Amino acid sequence: MDELDLLKKDWNKDSTDYKSYSDTDLYKMVHKKSSSIVKTLLYIGIGELVFWLLAGILPYYLSTTFKEKLDTSYENPLFVALNIFSYFVILLFIYFLYKSYKSISSTDSAKKLMESILQTRKVIKYYVVFNLSLIFISIPLSLYFEYLENPEFHEQILEASTSQMFVIYLVVVIVAALILLILWFFYRVIYGILLKRLNKNYDELKKLEL
Amino acid sequence: MNKELEHSFVEQLQTHQNIVHKVCRLYTNNADAHNDLFQEITIQLWRAYPKFRGDSKFSTWMYRVGLNTAITLYRKSKRRISTQQFDAVEFKIKAEEYDDTEEQQLKLLYKAVHQLNDIEKALVFLYLEDKDYREISATLGISEVNARVKMNRVKKKLKTILNP
Repeated sequence: MDELDLLKKDWNKDSTDYKSYSDTDLYKMVHKKSSSIVKTLLYIGIGELVFWLLAGILPYYLSTTFKEKLDTSYENPLFVALNIFSYFVILLFIYFLYKSYKSISSTDSAKKLMESILQTRKVIKYYVVFNLSLIFISIPLSLYFEYLENPEFHEQILEASTSQMFVIYLVVVIVAALILLILWFFYRVIYGILLKRLNKNYDELKKLEL
Repeated sequence: MNKELEHSFVEQLQTHQNIVHKVCRLYTNNADAHNDLFQEITIQLWRAYPKFRGDSKFSTWMYRVGLNTAITLYRKSKRRISTQQFDAVEFKIKAEEYDDTEEQQLKLLYKAVHQLNDIEKALVFLYLEDKDYREISATLGISEVNARVKMNRVKKKLKTILNP
């Protein structure tokens, strides 16, 4: 006899004594908070949104020198355009995050459900990548503006020898790369832990389709 | 929330709660984890309930949400992982005094099923619940042919686990 058929016979015997929850127990359970990965993912998404919004707004209000600098840089149309663009991306992100979150349904097939969750994760990832690229672009860009508008800095750069310039370039690149590396590692850890099981199961399902 | 909706939901869940228990039995190793998964499945069922149109049976609908929760949505916490897996301990003692009764064989079988991965468990679960390949394929989101192929592989794998 097939092993599974033996199991099936026992499985459907109904003799197994499961704990029987009463109506009252179930009512209580219905109102408890879920701890599903979808919820965690949504919290991470909202957290990202708040974090990058604050990162953009707070320095302006906390530091007066920074405020003055920003005010002058806003006279530059490139900076204004970049700013408008980043707010546009934030709106886009909210829209896509909401849309993909809403499309996650526990009544879909297992594969479809996993795909919807992975899609939501992708939306958050792209938003993070966008913000990181913005940082990466703005470091040399702000140095360049500083060079144009700050006569002292301008002089210093002009007086610098080739080797000094090389060191400046190197420092800028290394600092920018280090910031990116740390953030990238941070995200790998967060999503790695959160979605490890999902990725494994999704691969298992996909392997079947090959 | 609509009280009437909640009432009808709890009533139906109460009748069919063994389905949820059975999912928990396959996917967890101890009482704590069992109750925890039961709780999460209940929450997910309740959330999906407003969209339940009654065009499928309540029990059929429960299979899908229950398995989806166990395979994908449920997040194990540290507390659950560190809990002693008493099944494993019990198994060790029992295996020593193994005699060839059906009961012993069943114990080993359940033990073997627990060693399968999440997807394989889902196939076994649906098979045990007497679902046909059409429903298995729809629940998991794979083709019927692939569901059959996978099922055969799972049977072979179980045989290997039982007779190494």
